[in-house]
Amino acid sequence: MYQASHLSYRVREKILLHDVSLAIAPGQFTAVVGPNGAGKSTLLKTMALEYAGYHGDIVINGKSAKAYSPRELSFVRAVLPQSTTVQFAFTVEQIVALGRHGYRSSRKENEAIVDEVMALTGTDVFRERSYLTLSGGEKQRVQLARVLVQVWEETLYPRYMLLDEPTSSLDIAQQQHIFSLAKKVCERNIGVMAIVHDLNQAVLFADHLYFLRDGKLVASGSAHDVFTKSIIEETFCCRVNVYRDPCNNCPYIIPEREVFAPSPSLVIEK
Amino acid sequence: MNLILATRDYRTTLILTGLSFCLITATLFSLSVGAVSIPVKDVAVILLQKLGLFRSVTVEGMHEIVLSSIRLPRIIMTVLIGASLGVSGSALQALFRNPLVEPSLIGVSGGSASAVVMVIVFGSALPLPVNGWLYHSLLQLVAFGGGMLATFIVLKLSSQMGKTNIAILILTGVALNALAGAVIGLAIFYADENQLRTFTFWTLGDLGGATWDKLTFAAPLLVTACAGLLFFAPSLNLFSLGEAEAYHTGVNVESTKRRIIIFAALAVGISVSLSGIIGFVGLVVPHVIRVSFHSDNRLVLPASVLGGALLLVLADVIARTVVSPSELPIGVVTALVGAPFFIGLLMNAKRKHEL
Repeated sequence: MYQASHLSYRVREKILLHDVSLAIAPGQFTAVVGPNGAGKSTLLKTMALEYAGYHGDIVINGKSAKAYSPRELSFVRAVLPQSTTVQFAFTVEQIVALGRHGYRSSRKENEAIVDEVMALTGTDVFRERSYLTLSGGEKQRVQLARVLVQVWEETLYPRYMLLDEPTSSLDIAQQQHIFSLAKKVCERNIGVMAIVHDLNQAVLFADHLYFLRDGKLVASGSAHDVFTKSIIEETFCCRVNVYRDPCNNCPYIIPEREVFAPSPSLVIEK
Repeated sequence: MNLILATRDYRTTLILTGLSFCLITATLFSLSVGAVSIPVKDVAVILLQKLGLFRSVTVEGMHEIVLSSIRLPRIIMTVLIGASLGVSGSALQALFRNPLVEPSLIGVSGGSASAVVMVIVFGSALPLPVNGWLYHSLLQLVAFGGGMLATFIVLKLSSQMGKTNIAILILTGVALNALAGAVIGLAIFYADENQLRTFTFWTLGDLGGATWDKLTFAAPLLVTACAGLLFFAPSLNLFSLGEAEAYHTGVNVESTKRRIIIFAALAVGISVSLSGIIGFVGLVVPHVIRVSFHSDNRLVLPASVLGGALLLVLADVIARTVVSPSELPIGVVTALVGAPFFIGLLMNAKRKHEL
């Protein structure tokens, strides 16, 4: 379990996170959704121990996160940032292999893992190309491969992946590819937490949903339970309708044309 | 797959061997040319005799003296300084995540030089015999301190939300260089005739002052600094993804950063205390290596050690021979090559909208 309890984080006077409790269970896909500026990325970065001055507790596999060294942390959790810029011309394979930095395993083992993950992510077809020449979708897949490589090895303890909007700026096919991969990876005793913008994708793939707004949790629970009209409207301040896909019984939303709180002048015109 | 990686490792070895071979050739050539021309064969024989071989072969006594008391310390110093500037340039570029970073450009060399000049001019108040080993090691210590201070200032001022703001970085470098120039100028203003002559030395570099005395302290320090930086090559690869990413992948970012800066400041500071500011070596060498081969720092760093030494040895040959028997300041030669190169880099960065 990757558990954050009563997490608060503030920069000077501005409160970015307030009393957020969240748990990532191994083998499950946990999605965090919320409007822009709700503190989703801050939550992810705080949970990744990127910031030092947070309040609350983060416990990973029963041990306080503060007791881990950076290297030990890299064995239990990997982080995919929103975007990664690389200044120098590394090849795709070199970038992916960077995920094995902390390990002292033999070159053969490293190569085997890099090979397996690259095949899985479909990045092996351009392994020798320079990272700088890739398209946005390809870059994201390479970064995902790098993050996967870091936690790929089967261990006795569960591992976790934190993905910060892994599909922003990708087309629908790429999104599907990334999410189904992340979902599949859960089977390896890996817990995935992802910030997801597209609500329909979120409910399609996630086992657990967290709704975040203004740095606070609005609702959380199993995806099908909390994916309701009222919770979504409260979180995002917009009007939506929730339907159910008759084939797989999965809920989905369609936003309404009208905004949630029309200004008075608009009402009068009507 | 195994084959591909094996080939790549084989390629790295091949590149490093090739560079070593070029460096040895250039070194022998450099030892043979000068006011007194010594045949390469004799150079080799004298060097081997120093190692206890070929004792039976006789060589001209004058050649031996010129070689062992003038050219040998000079070439060792040149190689060490070139290697230090090359490797610290590539390490700082990787750390700052930018190919435009260079020790003399971002004010590190300036920081070292101004600190040293202050001690030379105002240090006469100290109860130390000038030119003694204690005095030299004090200068080296001061140069190291000045360089480190400058690097930390640049790093602190140019970092913005964990990333380096390149515009601020370059401008901070400009400001620090101006400040260093002012300090050097001020010191020169108060300097006597003899000290005045060393002005060119500090601003344009000079490899002429090499003696075994100076090297006894400096050489081990430079070797340590270079070896220390090489040790961080794998971590520097992660820095090129970003500091946060390096942390997530298991690098202790702050301590690694600090150590790299200390080693780089040591390499640059000691070099500056020996030869003054020699610009552009740390800029050109790593870039050429990245463009010709690839950007993996496990190649770039060791290759910069060899490439930096090679470049400076060649530049020194040019500086010593074109206006013989006089010699050009070494910085003139490196700047003549480096400045157009730097403009080319800037234009390239502009085209890619990296600035």
